[in-house]
Amino acid sequence: MESTKASQTSQSNQSNQSSSQTAQSGICGTGCGTLPGKCAPLVFPYVPMQENNPERFSQQDALNAGTLFPGLYLPFHKELKTRFPANNTALSELMAIDFAIDELGLYLTTHANDAEVLNLYWSYIKLGREGRERYEELYGPLLQTDLTPGSFKWLDNPWPWDLEGNQ
Amino acid sequence: MFVYEKKLQYPVRITTPNPKLAAVIISQYGGPDGELGASLRYLSQRYSMPYPELKGLLTDIGTEELGHLEMVGTIVHQLTRNLTEDQIKTAGFDTYFVDHTTGIYPQFASGTPWTAATMQSKGDLITDLTEDLAAEQKARTTYDNILRLSDDPDVNDVIKFLRAREIVHFQRFGEGLRLAREKLDQKNVYYINPSFDK
Repeated sequence: MESTKASQTSQSNQSNQSSSQTAQSGICGTGCGTLPGKCAPLVFPYVPMQENNPERFSQQDALNAGTLFPGLYLPFHKELKTRFPANNTALSELMAIDFAIDELGLYLTTHANDAEVLNLYWSYIKLGREGRERYEELYGPLLQTDLTPGSFKWLDNPWPWDLEGNQ
Repeated sequence: MFVYEKKLQYPVRITTPNPKLAAVIISQYGGPDGELGASLRYLSQRYSMPYPELKGLLTDIGTEELGHLEMVGTIVHQLTRNLTEDQIKTAGFDTYFVDHTTGIYPQFASGTPWTAATMQSKGDLITDLTEDLAAEQKARTTYDNILRLSDDPDVNDVIKFLRAREIVHFQRFGEGLRLAREKLDQKNVYYINPSFDK
């Protein structure tokens, strides 16, 4: 731990004014950090931790926005003419629920202790299973291992990159 | 292992072919800050991650990037459907056409083939996560630039979705880096490399 001591002595100058405001026996408040001084406001690049159980869009709005979280919705300035192709309700419903599941799953990798979101995550997964069955009845299997009585429907067109696969 | 799901993450339905735009968007397939490099970067870096949260983070984002690779390939494919003799001569697309017809090939917009030289897997969690933060911003800027170049509402709709994902991933990598730092000696996070030193 020699290097730790060395860095402490180098910090023993009294220059950092902002550090004394927030430093409390080595604990640093939010928006502050300890390297390279004792405690100081963060400079760029900084990423504040997302709060637990954050505000959320509805599933369809989330798919449209590209994020489930209004706090992370930061669009580009250009005025965009866009067209959301939502005429296949079973497909767009499934995409919306699966997107919410993906987004919550990713959130949970850095917020594993957020019990409320974990419960929501599991409830979305259950909902997703129902949506999946509805979709498969109408349009065929999503997985090669799905049972398709009568014939091997996995190969049937359209595939996801076909225009018709997104209608 | 990986299991393929027969749907896109977000619908891609491009009604008007546009080879010139396709020749630009191919960069997010196999360009310097494209989705192929993103997925390979994260899926390769995850092996040296010492903490379960970071293994999960890189697996999740690396997998999602594979889905984005499929979406960008789909955009290019649909932008180059049923081209006329005149359309294949479009300046900017003709040089792609001569080598690949309308096949999907991972290359920069400038024509350089995809290269692993655009990514790094350094075996050090602070180094790798810091690269990942930059990578998300580079991809976000590229999507900004595509939005500046495109007037097609069908294309813009998908690009703005992909752009939004870069911002969310940047957030998660930032949180991952903080999590890593909390587990290290806060006075000197470079004291050891927990990915290598025991």
